[in-house]
Amino acid sequence: MIVAAGPLVLAAAACVSFAFRKRLTLVGPFSLLAIAIAFVLVGLTAPDSTGSLLDLELRLGALGRLAALVMLATLFVLVLYVVAEEPAYNFFPTALAVGATALGVVTLTAALAICGVLVLGLLVPVGSFTFQVQRNRSVEAATRHFAFVALGGCMGIAALALAASLPKDQPATTFVLLAVILVIAFALLLAAIPFHTHAALLAGEVPTAALGLYFGVLVPATFVAFAEILTLSGLLPEIAQVVKVQDLLHGIGLVSALGGAFLASGAPDLRRLVVYSVISNLGASLVGIGTLSGPGIIGALAGVLVTGACATQQLLAAGTLERRAGAERPSAAHAPLAALAFVIGGFGMIGAPPLVGFPGRFFIELIAYQFSPTTGTVLVLATLLLLVGQLRAVILLFGTTPTTWKAEPRPVAGVIGAVIFAALLAGGLQPEGFLEPIASFADEFLKAMRPL
Amino acid sequence: MIPLGIVALATLAANGSRQLRYSAVALLGVSLAANVLGVGQLSAPQVALEGCGALVACGILYVAARDNAFGEDPGWRLWLATIFAAVATAAIFASLRTATTESIAVSLVGDDPGGVTAQVAAFWLLASGLAILVTARSAVRGSLGALLMVTGVELLVRLVAAPQLALSVLLAWLEVVIALTGAFLIVNERAVREA
Repeated sequence: MIVAAGPLVLAAAACVSFAFRKRLTLVGPFSLLAIAIAFVLVGLTAPDSTGSLLDLELRLGALGRLAALVMLATLFVLVLYVVAEEPAYNFFPTALAVGATALGVVTLTAALAICGVLVLGLLVPVGSFTFQVQRNRSVEAATRHFAFVALGGCMGIAALALAASLPKDQPATTFVLLAVILVIAFALLLAAIPFHTHAALLAGEVPTAALGLYFGVLVPATFVAFAEILTLSGLLPEIAQVVKVQDLLHGIGLVSALGGAFLASGAPDLRRLVVYSVISNLGASLVGIGTLSGPGIIGALAGVLVTGACATQQLLAAGTLERRAGAERPSAAHAPLAALAFVIGGFGMIGAPPLVGFPGRFFIELIAYQFSPTTGTVLVLATLLLLVGQLRAVILLFGTTPTTWKAEPRPVAGVIGAVIFAALLAGGLQPEGFLEPIASFADEFLKAMRPL
Repeated sequence: MIPLGIVALATLAANGSRQLRYSAVALLGVSLAANVLGVGQLSAPQVALEGCGALVACGILYVAARDNAFGEDPGWRLWLATIFAAVATAAIFASLRTATTESIAVSLVGDDPGGVTAQVAAFWLLASGLAILVTARSAVRGSLGALLMVTGVELLVRLVAAPQLALSVLLAWLEVVIALTGAFLIVNERAVREA
């Protein structure tokens, strides 16, 4: 039961905070306390602890524990930012519910249940996406997100249910068809190109904290869920035997990696730069998973977790810069510490050494070259385009030197950026602690691919 | 076979209605008929759980409409969704049951232990929901399509050897959350339109 304690605490806290959501002085600290308690509970749970709830088997594996801790830490800084910078009463219950579903995703062991809980989690933030509805297009963005999630989620659950219920003596094409539906369902949920239009609209219209919730917590949770579902669904042996599914994963991954990087390199504002960078990194991670190799899987999962943290750092900094700039173009003169946080977040986003994002990107690009020189070249090109995009942001922010530098009075985004950067640097200097849990999951993945 | 026919007709009614409230009532008919199809596969509490989920979801959409006139004219989308659903249902059923050696014989009245009607209804609902969702212009038909798809998913999940009580709870919640989210979007869209 201790395995379920974290998600249950957050779910209960979400209900309580919904009841008191308009008492901002209470609900903010309460949400932070609930996330801290869940963090401690997950931290105290030994890897591979098991339990059951309503006959569902639960297991907090090494990867699940790592992902849960990273996502809870990200959630904590997001809630802290909202408490300190832009109090929004509907954010707190949403954040707690998202935390509960993210922990549920990494704790459950039934593919159908993982997919169902994930869809619940992806639907919950719609409430925090709609913002100043008569002044912007946030309702349209939220409606598109709703449609994509409902479509992808139902397709995914249906494919998993069919895979589990059909007799095992089916022709290979049947399982290939189901695997293809599953991959497309997750491409919809992950906003991979060409299914990214809702993410692009969200980037322009919704508050940055809500964007952080989606791209910093839910997108990594979705990718981890995808890897776990592949492992648990029984479809992996068929995927490994049929090259077409691997080709599909590579195709979607490469289009996303290159397309996202291309869009990021010419992004008109800071938010879009971050969102397209995330889409590009997700594409690279899909290629990593598609190689069906140990280094590819490790690189993919490490890359996604780091990307989530960096996206949160950059989005919060972008939010502060936009707010302080008002109608003007954001620059470092408005909020120098937030601008600095944005720039150093970009290092993590492109996987620059010595940050912890580097090993993941290195593994993916290395195995991609081994898989096919074209695939490797495309991924390196995508990294270069991301670098161009981040450099353009540096020039945009620091291109004009103000007469006097004046730090913002409450540098919340700057401090959060410094903390995330320090964590990424510590992880980069001591990568074993971060990569070992992912490597143990990669072992499970490879065993599921070739059952005895 | 009779509940399967009711599922098909109620889906067409929900899809073809210009008023959200009528769509919500038709959606309830779809859910009830789908639950009748799955009576043999689930225990009474599980059927009741999923039935309550459907009732709450349809109630939420009914209330979100606020008046009998509010809704969206499906226009050509009705015919597109119907033709697509008919073709896709046949194609998916043929693709995913090809290897079974058992004969597919279903009586007009009586049990269906093989789950053939449940699968056909599930594919029909998934295909209809998909077509409605993809062609939707607003949250009104988006919510309708999503709820039809979830009902289809519920039918498929019943055929799986898995902890059914937990999955029933999960899917009932999913249905309610989809309805709540859809209703939230409908209310906001209306606010934008009336501003």
